[in-house]
Amino acid sequence: MTTAALFRDRLRKSDSQGYLFVLPYVVYFLAFVAYPLIFSIALMFNRWNIVTPMEWIGLKNFIRMIHDPLFFKSLENTVIFLLIHIPLQIVVALGLALLLNSKLRLRFFFRAVYFMPVVVSGVVVTILWQQLYSFDYGILNNILSSIGLPRIPWLVDAAYAMPSIALMATWKNVGIYIVLFLVGLQNIPAELYEAASLDGASRADKFMHVTLPMLNPTIIAIVILSTIGGFSLFIEPYVLTGGGPMQSTLSTMLYIYNQAFYFDHMGYAATLGIVFAVIILGVVAVQRKVIEAES
Amino acid sequence: MRFHTAMLFVVSLSYVGCGGRHESVSSSTAQVELTYWPAPNIQEIQLADTIVKTWNRDHPSVHVRMQPIPVSQSTEEVLLAAIAGKTTPDVCSNIWPGALHDYTESGGLIPLDSFSDFDSVVSSRVPAELLKTFRSSDGHYFQFPWKTNPVMMFYNKRLFHEAGVESPPRTYSEFLLDGQRVTRDTNGDGQTDVWMGERDIRPIWWQRLFDFYPFYIAASGGKTLFTDGKITYGDEPAVSVFGFFQKCYGEHYFPRTFFQGGDPFLLEKKATHFAGPWEVATIQKYAPGLDFGVAPLPVPDSFRGPVYTTGDFKNISIFSTTTHPREAWEFVKYLVTAEHDLLMLEICNQIPVRGDLQTNPLFAPYFRVNPLMISFAQQAPFTRGMDAVPDLKEIFDAISQEYELCAVYGTKTPAEAVRDAVARTSSIVEWNQ
Repeated sequence: MTTAALFRDRLRKSDSQGYLFVLPYVVYFLAFVAYPLIFSIALMFNRWNIVTPMEWIGLKNFIRMIHDPLFFKSLENTVIFLLIHIPLQIVVALGLALLLNSKLRLRFFFRAVYFMPVVVSGVVVTILWQQLYSFDYGILNNILSSIGLPRIPWLVDAAYAMPSIALMATWKNVGIYIVLFLVGLQNIPAELYEAASLDGASRADKFMHVTLPMLNPTIIAIVILSTIGGFSLFIEPYVLTGGGPMQSTLSTMLYIYNQAFYFDHMGYAATLGIVFAVIILGVVAVQRKVIEAES
Repeated sequence: MRFHTAMLFVVSLSYVGCGGRHESVSSSTAQVELTYWPAPNIQEIQLADTIVKTWNRDHPSVHVRMQPIPVSQSTEEVLLAAIAGKTTPDVCSNIWPGALHDYTESGGLIPLDSFSDFDSVVSSRVPAELLKTFRSSDGHYFQFPWKTNPVMMFYNKRLFHEAGVESPPRTYSEFLLDGQRVTRDTNGDGQTDVWMGERDIRPIWWQRLFDFYPFYIAASGGKTLFTDGKITYGDEPAVSVFGFFQKCYGEHYFPRTFFQGGDPFLLEKKATHFAGPWEVATIQKYAPGLDFGVAPLPVPDSFRGPVYTTGDFKNISIFSTTTHPREAWEFVKYLVTAEHDLLMLEICNQIPVRGDLQTNPLFAPYFRVNPLMISFAQQAPFTRGMDAVPDLKEIFDAISQEYELCAVYGTKTPAEAVRDAVARTSSIVEWNQ
């Protein structure tokens, strides 16, 4: 029996209704995942501005990328963002989760409050923070001024702009990580704390030797999710700073967007996009290995 | 029978072959439908609606369907997407000359000079010297110059008067001197409440169309970034413009921040504003009590001659997807008549690109009622458009980055910033060749 005949035979014997059920997803996958991905890979070797025919340029997009200081600057900015955002995210989310896991009055109300920014549109949150961060009229600087402290150039000084964005992104996303930490905390068996208490462990000891080790899988998940989320930093610099001041908030995603949709360099943008995806994949793989080895 | 069919085919082919200059006119009895896209703002929709209604009344055989350009981040994005999807209208009156190269490169537009009466129509309206600036590198005209919004300096008379400034500054030195007087803390809280000027400090390419670019055109006596396809803005006027804005920020006459909560000119938090005539209607609507004047842009102290500026032109083009080019051209001619230009002034407060604006008695009553618009009409002949080169947005982005480094944050000297902007422009031009 030939391979084709074997396949037909297998198809006939299997439940054909099953294929019908998966068909919508297969169509969706082919149209919105596989085709764009293959098209992007083809674009890497072409120059194309949407309206003119594609022009084959071989490896020129890669050569351009290697000599493009702005691309590397954007990578550096994204890494700076991640270095501030991820630790901040974990510390704040864990701290709030510990508080919300205690027998606090109105804790359900506070859980809802902390989760609220997650469900609000990113653009709306960013515009609100733009008002808060305003140098002359922002509420943050007005508070600082009223207590005699100098105003902070939150978004208009290269040294402050990316940390300001990281702070805002942490506020926006912390709710989802609080929920993950809460699930992790509630899954820690009470017996472990009882045993530690019998051994005379202090609250700090219990936190260091029971809570943290038991939360390791959650921390791994949060680090990986924050890393992937952080790499896709776009709305905040797009709305708040346009990549400035002095390119200090030009994230890689914003740079790719500019290349594609401001300058119509679809081929170059596809090259940057695919290379960036490979970098994210590599970073996440290394992160996972390191955290697993540590734990 | 077969012979007759063959003959009909041959005859029809010969008709198609003779249509090289788009002279084929549809039968007057046939109903032709044209689609026309005006800009999607209230005034221009009203203007388009008025003109289209009279056209449809007077031309029952050629029906025009008016549809404002679908709202997006920019008209250029919509038009590029429409060209890619072959869903362009027959006629569009919001063509930005800076994006024209993208449209023509893809064969999206019809050369208007292929119509036999183009020369006579356009030369009766547009001054010859200005018309030349709209010619594409292949010698054809793909756009009909329609309206211009000369970027000029608006100034707040009350704020100037309170600071002891009685006339608008004409030179950089005068502007900076006035800036010293006008910029102040009015309530003694240690914060500046009134600024001489303000610009969006984000490095966004199109923001430079309202500061560096018009100021460069003014300082250079009417030059644009390119001359005969060569980069020519790496010169003294560009250095002086960067230097001027560096002083504005360095001396704190312009804030290094974003204003929140409304337009600072309308709120009387800044004394000058660089904008086109559209701003007049905005001020009259949202700040009717604001006492303001309009003046040409300041120029370097040593500059002599007429002060040019950018025209922020919006022109009319016919897309190559049209199946009725001749009728589309007739409609374009209808859009640009003197009567409809008067309507444009009355409804939109925008300046038609025509040489007789100040001499044609038809327009005189309008300017009598709207004396502020006279400044724009006087400025209109001294305007420049955009260079018809590819990747203009990316070039302005490069200038924007250097402007930010030099003018806003002062980390580069003006000469270094101009040199680096030119170097980056060269790389962009080279890469895209």
